[in-house]
Parts: sequence; C-alpha cells; structure tokens
Amino acid sequence: MNWRVALIAVAAVAAVALLVWLLQGGTPDVVQQEVVSVQDIPTPTPAPEQRIILLFTGADGMLHPELRSVPLPKEVHERIQIVMRELLAGPTTSPRLAPVVPYQASLKAVFVDQNGNAFVDLTAPPEPLAGSSTELILAYGVVNSIILNCPEVSAVQILFGGHEVTTLTGHLDFSKPLVLNKRFITRS
Amino acid sequence: MIRKLQLLLISLIVGAGSLPAQEPGRTLEFHFEDRAIVVPRFGPKVEALPVLELVGVEVRYSLSAGTYGVVSGEHMIQFAVDHKVLLVDGDLIEARETPVASPGGVAVSLGYLERYLLSPLGFHLEPVPLGYRVVHGARFADPVTVRPAVADFGVTTTLVLTLNRPTEAEVEESPAGLLTVRFADATPHLDGSRPFRSRRVRSLTSKEQTVEVKLASGIGLLSWHALENPPRVTMELGPARPTPTPAPERGLVVSRTGPRPIVIDPGHGGDDTGAKSPDGLTEKELTLAIARRLARILESRGHAVRLTRDGDQSRALTDRTALANRLEAPVFVSLHANASTFSSVSGAETYYMSLDSASDEAAAATANLENRADGSVDERSPLDLILWDLAQAEVLNESADLALAVQGRLNARLGSRDRGVKQAPFVVLTGATMPAILVEVGFLSNTSEAQKLIQPDYQQQLAEAVAAGIEDFLRPR
Repeated sequence: MNWRVALIAVAAVAAVALLVWLLQGGTPDVVQQEVVSVQDIPTPTPAPEQRIILLFTGADGMLHPELRSVPLPKEVHERIQIVMRELLAGPTTSPRLAPVVPYQASLKAVFVDQNGNAFVDLTAPPEPLAGSSTELILAYGVVNSIILNCPEVSAVQILFGGHEVTTLTGHLDFSKPLVLNKRFITRS
Repeated sequence: MIRKLQLLLISLIVGAGSLPAQEPGRTLEFHFEDRAIVVPRFGPKVEALPVLELVGVEVRYSLSAGTYGVVSGEHMIQFAVDHKVLLVDGDLIEARETPVASPGGVAVSLGYLERYLLSPLGFHLEPVPLGYRVVHGARFADPVTVRPAVADFGVTTTLVLTLNRPTEAEVEESPAGLLTVRFADATPHLDGSRPFRSRRVRSLTSKEQTVEVKLASGIGLLSWHALENPPRVTMELGPARPTPTPAPERGLVVSRTGPRPIVIDPGHGGDDTGAKSPDGLTEKELTLAIARRLARILESRGHAVRLTRDGDQSRALTDRTALANRLEAPVFVSLHANASTFSSVSGAETYYMSLDSASDEAAAATANLENRADGSVDERSPLDLILWDLAQAEVLNESADLALAVQGRLNARLGSRDRGVKQAPFVVLTGATMPAILVEVGFLSNTSEAQKLIQPDYQQQLAEAVAAGIEDFLRPR
C-alpha cells in the first residue's frame, strides 16, 4: 500500500505544480521582449445601415444594379469587405441575374493606398476563365461596385490567389488599377 | 497574458501558415541604437513585429482586411499572412515568399524583413555575433557577376545576361537605343572573359547598380524576361517601334491598300486556348481558321494581308498591335470568340477602343512623366503624349466606322443575334495607330452557336462578312 500512497502523493504534487505553472502563464518566455505593437482587436460596434449599389450580370452582357441595405462601417477596408461579401453572395432580387465572379470566390485581403487605389485579392478561379464578356463583367462588376460605394476609392486592382495578373482571359489589363466604367451598366 | 491571447487569436484568424517549429534555443538578437531584443527564429523565418517595434515604427493589424499596416513618417507598408503581394508606399510588389502566421503574429525571412519591411523605411541589417544590427541608411549593394551572351538572328537579336546569384532586375528603354538593366540590390560586375560580336548590340557597360546596353541605330527592345535556373535576364531586340504619330488623314487611309498589309489577329494561341465549346472546339483554333479564310478572301481581291500568327503560337497582346504599327497597316482586326456565364447567350459583337481609357492612359503617362523624382527623361515628351492623344481620338472615330461596317455585314450575312458595336479598353486595341477593332464572332459557350462555328461553311461566311466590312470601310466615300 505504501507505494500507492507515494504514487498518489507524487501525482498530487505534480498536479499542484501544473496548476501553479498554468496560472503563471504557461511556458516561461525564452523571448526576453514582448514588444509586439498590434492594434487591439476592435470591439464590434453596430454600424448604421445604408443602401449600397451592387452590380450583377444579365444575359444581355450588361451590369444590372441592385440596391441592398446593409450595416456599413466607416472604415474603408471594412466597407470594401462588406461590398465584396454582398457582391460575391450574388443577386437576391432577380433570378435572371448572376454574380459577376463566375466561381465560388472569397475575398482574401484588401489593401488601400494613400492615392485611393484599392487592391482586392480574390481566391483564384479553379479553372481558367474564358471570354471577353466574362472578363469585362468580372472586372467592372467588382471595380464599379467598390467605387460606387466607397468614395475614397478612385481605382481598383483585382488580384487572384495573392498574385498580380496581367490579364484574366486575354483581353483586359489587370496589371494596374481600373477606374470606374459606367459603359457596361445598363440604363434600363 | 491578455496580449498573448490576442496574438494567438490573431494568428489563428489570419490563417495557419507552414511555420516550422521553433527549435529550442534558436533565437536571433536584433540591435538598434542602444537597445537589443531576442527574437524567436523558426527555420529561416523570424518574428517580424518585435523588430519593427524595436526601430520605433507603428504596426497595426486590421482584422477586417486581414492586413498588417506598418506606418513610419510618410511611409506605409501593408502586408498579409500567406500573401506574396504587399503594398509599399502605394506600389504593389510581388515578393518571392509569403509571410506566415506565428505565435507573435507574423514571421518572415530575413531577406523579406530587410527588403520589404525595413529598407523602404530607410534601414538595413548588418550581421553581428548572434544576430543583426538594424542600421539607418541604404544597404551597400552586394556584387553580382553578369555574363553576357548575344545571338543575332534574321531580324532580331537575343541578349542574355546570366547572373551568378538571383537578384531582382528591371529593363528600361531610353531614347537613342540605350537599354538600362537596373538591379534592385546588387552592383553588377560584367564578366568580359568571353567577348561577343553582334550587328545590333554595340556595347555593355556597368555603372553603379545598372548595366547599360548600347544598341545599333534603329534597334530597340521588343521584350524582356527575368528567368530562373540559372538566374538571367533575356532581351529580344529588333527594329525599333515607331513613336506614336498623329493619325493619317482619311483620304490617305483610303488610298493605302496597296503595299501596306491589312493586319489580321487570330486571338489567343499557344498555351492560351481562350474559350472552349462543349464539344472541345477552342477559340485559338477557331480564330486562326477564320483568319486564314479572311486573309485568302482579301488577298484574292488585291489586298496585302499579314497575320499576327499563322500557327499555334503565343503572342503578347502588345506585340500584335506593335506589328500592325510597324507595318503601318491601314486597319487592324482582332478575331475572337466569346464565352458567358449564361449558356443561352449568342450572337456577334464588335468592339473598338474606349476613348476614356485611352485618355486615362495618356494622362497617367503624363503624370508619371511629371512626377519622376529621379529627374530622368521619359522616352515620350509631353508634346508626344498630346499628339498621341489627339491621334487616338482621330483613330477612334475611324475605328467606330470600321466597327459599324463590319458589324453591319455580320448582321446581314449571318442572321445571328446582333449584339452591336461596343467600346472597351482591350489591351490589343490600345496603342494601335490605325483603325482597330476586335470582332467577337459568336459564343462558344452556347451549344447551338458553337455547332455552327465549327462548320467550315459558317466560318467562310463569317470571313466573307468581315472582309466585306473591311472593304466597305476602305472604299472611297
């Protein structure tokens, strides 16, 4: 029996030591500095609802506007993220419209420079896209939707899978930010 | 403890990169002025944020954007875990590697840390025992040995600069046949042990962080590439591209169908197959087939014709237009087939360049010229750019006429759905100094239209319609 008592005593001491160690914060730092200056995680604050304009494509090869009310934050990165989230989710008002990005894409990152150029990084298409129509609709659906809802943004460059691309289907130049182009927005 | 949990949470949120486990005792010291810190090292990567804080810059993490922002004075750098691209003072840069999530937030290699995060802020790293010292000022460029090799062909020359180690390089063309190969972080030493002979390359000289290549008269840079294994810069040299000139007057255009060839551009080619029909017909095959038919029809009617490709070759979009400019073609017609998300969509449409984009290009080029901080001179003067803009406006009107003529003939001949004449800033139309259009002959994504497009008879009708449209445009009015 003595060895059992001894074993229990050892286990109890180990458990207490483990508890103390955990309460002290885990592994002692080998890093002598804890000098990471990272902005605190923002506390979610409810943003006011606003109407945004989203562009979706129809069989006429044009961009059709859809109005949607969403909580819209003031910070431009967050606003672009909301616009892109809604845009990628697709149209809700008409079954005749389709998303401008013709594959299940998600937004990976948003960069905005001091000159009002936004860079949105989408997941890459699972297989090569084709057609000038596909390219025009994707480019100006994304670019116009962001610029129309974010006045600070004057031009948008779309990246794919973390890479800058020269062209998507071989017609448009994706290697630099594109400006607002209302030519493909339907007037009807 | 709370800060640690936040960082751990951020690391989990921004994604788990492939970070090697920290080996016991593997740390690096970083010194800056009279301070020093010890930073964990994970294989070739180190925690980036402690080093940035050491030098006194502000680092913010945007949870919504998934990006880190580094702010120091007027400098701003944005980068993200698992992304090669980063934004440095407004310039989008594609790095050779990606930052990865780490217990401290983000880990990067020493090369990334110095080149992309410290250098733009005016710092560089100098090795010291057990680590590095962060020092103010630009890094002295490491030497790189450059071994040139030149091969003259018929009308072109290939110049290859082989490097003894990888380094970033850019090639710029200056006026008067001078190329400047600029190395980002290296001082080039030319290896002259194997002298070269060339009809088109006069000399190579190294100067600070550049190699200057002097070309023979009338020779210019056609294209260049930075390649790996071995690291090298290749340049294709050939007849210099003409500088933009104002558009010829209309009467002159009409009279120029003799020796100057109409340039027909079969879209896509090589690895770029373009659109594909449900039956497997590719756009590159279809456009070449129609282009060959179109060339035969036009030649049979006394026109000279040149194709931008007469086989399954890749051609850069800008090279296609450049060929038409060099040949002073009376018209440039790029042939394409379309694809849509909607399988029911069908019909032909014809595009010409949109003026707004052309103006933006010229304005941007002018702004770039005016904003060049290094005082260097762009190859185009502001006057050239204004003339170029005016020429584009003139050419645009003629392109619209050409597009209307071709689309009208397509509608009359094919009876397919008329999708009309449109404008778009397509690369292949940008910079054309002659009336230029892009014809989308139909939708390969539409099963019934694709079945028509594969038929030789239908291809012949398409070619005849486009030929008739071109002749309508060229005919004196």
